[in-house]
Amino acid sequence: MRSSDGDAVVCSGLVRRFGERLVLDGLEMRVPAGERVLLTGPNGSGKTTLLRVIATVLRPHGGEVRVWDKPLPAEAKQVRPDIGYVGHEPLIYPTLTVGENLALYASLYGVDGGRIGEALDQVGLAGRRADAAGDLSRGMRQRLALARATLHRPALLLLDEPTAGLDEDGRARLAGLLASHDGSAVIATHEPDWFAEVAGSELRLAAGKAA
Amino acid sequence: MTAYRALLRKDLLLELRGREIVPAMLAFVIGSLVLVRFGLGGVTQAGGTQAATGLLWVAAVFTSMLALVRSFAQEREHGIWDGLLSTPADRAAIWAARASATFVFLALTQVVAVPLFWLFFLQDGPSPSILVLVAALLLADLGVAMLGSLLAGLTGGIAAREVLLPVLFLPFAIPLVTVAVRVTVHTISPQTSGFHTFEGLGFLALYDTIFGLLGWALFEYVVED
Repeated sequence: MRSSDGDAVVCSGLVRRFGERLVLDGLEMRVPAGERVLLTGPNGSGKTTLLRVIATVLRPHGGEVRVWDKPLPAEAKQVRPDIGYVGHEPLIYPTLTVGENLALYASLYGVDGGRIGEALDQVGLAGRRADAAGDLSRGMRQRLALARATLHRPALLLLDEPTAGLDEDGRARLAGLLASHDGSAVIATHEPDWFAEVAGSELRLAAGKAA
Repeated sequence: MTAYRALLRKDLLLELRGREIVPAMLAFVIGSLVLVRFGLGGVTQAGGTQAATGLLWVAAVFTSMLALVRSFAQEREHGIWDGLLSTPADRAAIWAARASATFVFLALTQVVAVPLFWLFFLQDGPSPSILVLVAALLLADLGVAMLGSLLAGLTGGIAAREVLLPVLFLPFAIPLVTVAVRVTVHTISPQTSGFHTFEGLGFLALYDTIFGLLGWALFEYVVED
């Protein structure tokens, strides 16, 4: 756990383009260790792109991004074990079973296979371990995505609309996951009220900048 | 190595479940050899062995394209790249696992294609040195798999990848095919043209080493966005 290591995330003048389109336009952001920050804003405001940059999936095109005081992308490899990322897609192989998907990610994160059962229990998927991931409903796939992202107990959770597709039980389990997570989190959402109890602050984006 | 093994297992499991690549490769290579057999009518005429051998390798290269255009298909279609790239696994391990899986698919295809080639074209003529032929096939398959997986990663995010991948891949494959054909022909009917089989195999090994090193070193930058 890195909660005493200073800021979890610092973005300074962050710029990211897709072709000619400027998606993040000199963004400033700070996530203190242990704090949960909500990212809000209209569609296309840059929330997903910001999470992907912090998740080390996209390179910044300008400015500076530091995760646990390590600059990206130069030290991306060092911070990846501490990041758990839930994207728009569940990031799982539909033709593999639930268990096989998590076993793959457990190997990639260097996590013991015994942790898979715990992660599935936490999201209520213990009974679906042998089912093909592609046979799961949208909400169940989202639960699997949460299990995948928390499998290695990351110090920084990056969640892109984590409530999407979740039913009441799924939302209760997400709340439980966040309550038991003692690290930092950046959560992009269109439901800030739902996260009000767990979130420390809110950053509203508009056209790639803090509004 | 843990990440490589897990990724290779995943790539082989995906094919075992989906059966998208190997059956298509088998159908293509068998169809090609049958067509060539009826087109050439055997190898009794002068230069027939060389022509048939060349066609075996051309069929092998085009068959490999079927595997390469489907490389990373699930990662692309289901947005799984973000999941793999956000893990601490070395990105070169993703390339190495994909290249290994492609190598396995090519080798499986040739287990069927080579006996068929012998049956169609060499049954009544001289037999190749099996050991040299297998070595040439494995070395050439390895080169195709390593180069092809690197280029498949490079073109993965491009809409016209099915067109672009062969355009990029085939020129690089020319030296590989040329030498592989010469090695194969030489094992069937040794000539005193100054060509040495082991030099040919050495060239294939050098080709593999170069594209192995390039793939390992460059894949991280190839998949970077």
